[in-house]
Amino acid sequence: MTSQTLGNYAERAGKCEYLTLAFSPLSAPLRTRWRNNGLSADFLGDYVTTFLPTKGSVAAAESRQKEIRHAVTYIANELLENAMKYHERDVDIPIGIHLELTSDRITVSVSNGISLGQAQRYKTFVERLLEGDAGDLLLRQQEESARCNESATSCLGLLTVISDYDAQLGWRFDVHPAQSEVMTVTTSAVLPLKDAPGASA
Amino acid sequence: MRNINGETFEIRLEEDNSAVIFKGALRLNGMEDYAPILELLKETLIHPVASIVLDLRELDFLNSSGITMFSRFVIEARDRVGIDLQVLASETVPWHARSLKNLQRLMPALNIRLT
Repeated sequence: MTSQTLGNYAERAGKCEYLTLAFSPLSAPLRTRWRNNGLSADFLGDYVTTFLPTKGSVAAAESRQKEIRHAVTYIANELLENAMKYHERDVDIPIGIHLELTSDRITVSVSNGISLGQAQRYKTFVERLLEGDAGDLLLRQQEESARCNESATSCLGLLTVISDYDAQLGWRFDVHPAQSEVMTVTTSAVLPLKDAPGASA
Repeated sequence: MRNINGETFEIRLEEDNSAVIFKGALRLNGMEDYAPILELLKETLIHPVASIVLDLRELDFLNSSGITMFSRFVIEARDRVGIDLQVLASETVPWHARSLKNLQRLMPALNIRLT
């Protein structure tokens, strides 16, 4: 098996507005490049507002744009931070972020390279996440993290993306075609546009 | 008064340790980078005043590691007797309505004032 998906993985929609950025992972240490996560996430959040319909009153449209811009920024920032943290060093796979906008949803997906061991740990976490309620899991992890420091904080951002932003997450694991000891993991987050034309209330 | 400032944020602890005021965007890398800010927050718990205030009204962005930092502080405040903790938040900052409710789940007595 060369590919596996978990959760509600969002395949690319095809003909729609999209934007893709790719980062070379080898050029600078994580600490140096950390601020670029925020810059990139802010850019994506701003970028998407160009394509949002402005209907209703000016105030309502502005408020909706602000909400969506923030949600895209937060989600892009969390996914990028995770990708940068967990990317397998010394593997020349770019870290990518892809934004798609259709009439009823926005999708942010981020990909990076990981070792087979890390892929297995990530899958175990995802399976646990899919079995339970993200809000409850978030609370449990926060209590645990307060008791035993760093260990319990990993992937807490994904739980906030689900519980606070109502995003649907999905994952795809692909074996690297040339390096069988490495996988590419892509995490997709779908943000439904609730008052889009044709969207259910 | 003590301050911690970064490229995108300013944090100030009031002279009497009664309030911590946050401004800007906090996106630090993990709990290690948030440790000095958590220590600053915990100073309010050493000789607590009647009501401790976290003023987040101008904190426009907080990443999940920052949420974890606040959750640790709130848990610590909850687990001490007689701490009255208030959070000042804003309706115009989107993350406040979305994420602060989680802090209240950790500490039901937490008083969130959304203005």
